[in-house]
Amino acid sequence: MIQTFAFYLFATIVLLSGAFTIFAKNPVHSVLWLILAFFNAAGLMVLAGAEFIAMLLVIVYVGAVAVLFLFVVMMLDIDFAELRAGFARYLFFGIVLAVFLAIELVLGLEAFRAGAIKLGTATSAPVDAAVPNLEAIGALLYTKYVFLFEAAGLILLVAMIGAIVLTHRKRSGTRPQNVAKQVRRRPQDAVRNLTPEIGQGVDL
Amino acid sequence: MIGIEHYLVVSSILFVMGVLGIFLNRKNVIIILMAIELILLAVNINLVAFSSALQDLTGQIFAMFVLTVAAGEAAIGLAILVIYFRGRGTIAVDDVNRMKG
Amino acid sequence: MDYGQSLLITLPEIILSIGGLVLLLVAAWSGAKATRAVSISAVALLVAAGVATLCYTGDAFGALYSGDQFSDFGHVLIYIAAAISLMIAPRFFQRAGLARAEYPILILYACVGMGMMVSATDFLTLYIGLELNSLAAYVLASFLRTDERSAEAGLKYFVLGALASGILLFGMSLVYGFTGSTSFVAVLGSLGGGMETGALFGIVFVLAGLAFKISAVPFHMWTPDVYEGAPTPVTAFFASAPKVAATALTVRVAVDAFGTQTLAWQQIIIFIALASIILGGVAAIGQTNLKRLLAYSSINNIGFLLIGLAAGTQEGISAVLVYLSIYVAMTLGSFACIMQLRGPDGEPREELSDIAGLSQTNKGLALAMAIFMFSLAGIPPLFGFWGKVVVFDAAIGAGLLPLAVIGIAASVIGAFYYIKIVKLMYFDESRTVLQTGDGKALAWIGAIMALLVSPLGYFSIPLLGGFANNAASALF
Repeated sequence: MIQTFAFYLFATIVLLSGAFTIFAKNPVHSVLWLILAFFNAAGLMVLAGAEFIAMLLVIVYVGAVAVLFLFVVMMLDIDFAELRAGFARYLFFGIVLAVFLAIELVLGLEAFRAGAIKLGTATSAPVDAAVPNLEAIGALLYTKYVFLFEAAGLILLVAMIGAIVLTHRKRSGTRPQNVAKQVRRRPQDAVRNLTPEIGQGVDL
Repeated sequence: MIGIEHYLVVSSILFVMGVLGIFLNRKNVIIILMAIELILLAVNINLVAFSSALQDLTGQIFAMFVLTVAAGEAAIGLAILVIYFRGRGTIAVDDVNRMKG
Repeated sequence: MDYGQSLLITLPEIILSIGGLVLLLVAAWSGAKATRAVSISAVALLVAAGVATLCYTGDAFGALYSGDQFSDFGHVLIYIAAAISLMIAPRFFQRAGLARAEYPILILYACVGMGMMVSATDFLTLYIGLELNSLAAYVLASFLRTDERSAEAGLKYFVLGALASGILLFGMSLVYGFTGSTSFVAVLGSLGGGMETGALFGIVFVLAGLAFKISAVPFHMWTPDVYEGAPTPVTAFFASAPKVAATALTVRVAVDAFGTQTLAWQQIIIFIALASIILGGVAAIGQTNLKRLLAYSSINNIGFLLIGLAAGTQEGISAVLVYLSIYVAMTLGSFACIMQLRGPDGEPREELSDIAGLSQTNKGLALAMAIFMFSLAGIPPLFGFWGKVVVFDAAIGAGLLPLAVIGIAASVIGAFYYIKIVKLMYFDESRTVLQTGDGKALAWIGAIMALLVSPLGYFSIPLLGGFANNAASALF
């Protein structure tokens, strides 16, 4: 009972915040709605018994991706009102499309009711109830899927190289610190002990 | 236990919303990027739900890889957006079209 | 599972990844000075990886990766195309003032991804390989970051590419759910005994996502913009290596994973093939930019490739591979020619009007260009004709006579704009001052590719056909 209630709560909020993400007037609000959607999707995943993925969703999406979005939204000085100008133009077409898809989905739902859908039978990596989710995923990821795990690392590397190649620029006129010079500096070169005469001042 | 079809309906609606978001916000690239994230979220819900219904971990591993790629994709997308903005001063894709669409 | 054996089979990917890391360090320490050295080493790495591909065969890491003859064929073709894109690039970027060592490194990582794509026997490998290639490609498209067109090309490519990945992924998740596995073999077995509607949806979504990646109609919208906006060496790369990888991937998915449901996808592939041939031919007519024109030409050619796949037989797949090899030579050659067109101040020229009267100013270049155009049109004495012959032959062999007839008729329409280019070069007066020729590398590559697609290419038929047959037999 509580499971069903939680499912409908999470599902409703995911869908609502998804809708607000694409309809919000202000992109900052969009990002915040997106974060809410992620949190509730994580809730759905916990209900399905995938605690680790749920945790990752919160950490990776909310912690990294959404913050990156916020950062870029605020960094770029954009006139958002102007960007909304074309919205109404596509709204009619969009709503027709959405209604059509929604009808299709309701039909699909009715079809599901007519008879339980027949899923395939899995053989490759059965879930063992005695092993915690995290441990089971680790055991698979580092053995069977180690090749793909390394390749996923390469994807992140390429993303990093890409982001740096594209956006990094040497600005002229900045004065970056010279680390070697800083390290080379010794107290004896930098500090003088003086006993100035009264009324003479100090030589700098 | 919630039936798989419930999850499928949620993820399908979310997927449709993501696609719709791309078509509706043709000018605002940032929202387009967020709509892409919504699509990937729908896929992840699907994968996890199937994984639980099939009692098979492959789906969860798949979802993890999707997460990884989504993070990389967001980084690249925003980087391209930043250089686009630097050159143009706007992030509208279809109004100042240098190239015929 | 024997890890040692698996590592040997995936050796080409390992060589490229580790080599790429070393080159990245070199680039980080010596900066732009090392660009030339890094490019040369990257080509050497591609050669080494190509040799490594041929040394070991078998399945690696369970059923995630397969180093069969099909994947060998794909790997070698991809590495050759990538190596050529590396060789034609340095002067272009030097002239643009953006010679950066990251270019060869990104190409290397894209090659790792493409290698995984052609060897994938599991949807997970497919996805990771595809994304590794795509992410590198998005960056490459916007590599000339100060050029607005390049940034716009990158942005368009990214948005539509990410949407396609999303559609593909949604399809893969449905296939996983309704068959219970991500492995091609298991999916094939599971689909053998009838199919749920959900699985059909999955197949359609997967094919739609892949059609996008090979830029087939109706998912071709990005191609002309990206080809025009991206730096020309990058466009040459996009038109060759990733095309090979995505086509080989589509073939493997259709045959290896969905092979027991041929009827479900054959109709879709036939529709996509015809739409691509016709639209690629018709839409090209009004274009004035050479790169856009070649983009439509690539859409057109993908249509012919898909006819071979629609046949669905071993003969058809072998024809696809033969066509792909010839197509890579033609397209790289055409881009090598276009890159030699420079204005008086050395700025790149890529308008159709720029090549008017080219035969008077540079006979060799005009001749090479004419060879490529006639070959792309499939006019008989040239080698491009052979590609079309094998594809249509396979289609007729599979009982798809109407498809072959419509395809041949459409290829005649498509021939129009290729011939228009040749007419422009030979019979029109030159209007712009062109400074042609841009370094020896481009001239040599253009000349070699022109030789390959000239009637001399027919001598390679036994060899190429043999390899293609072997490769295709690995799938059946």
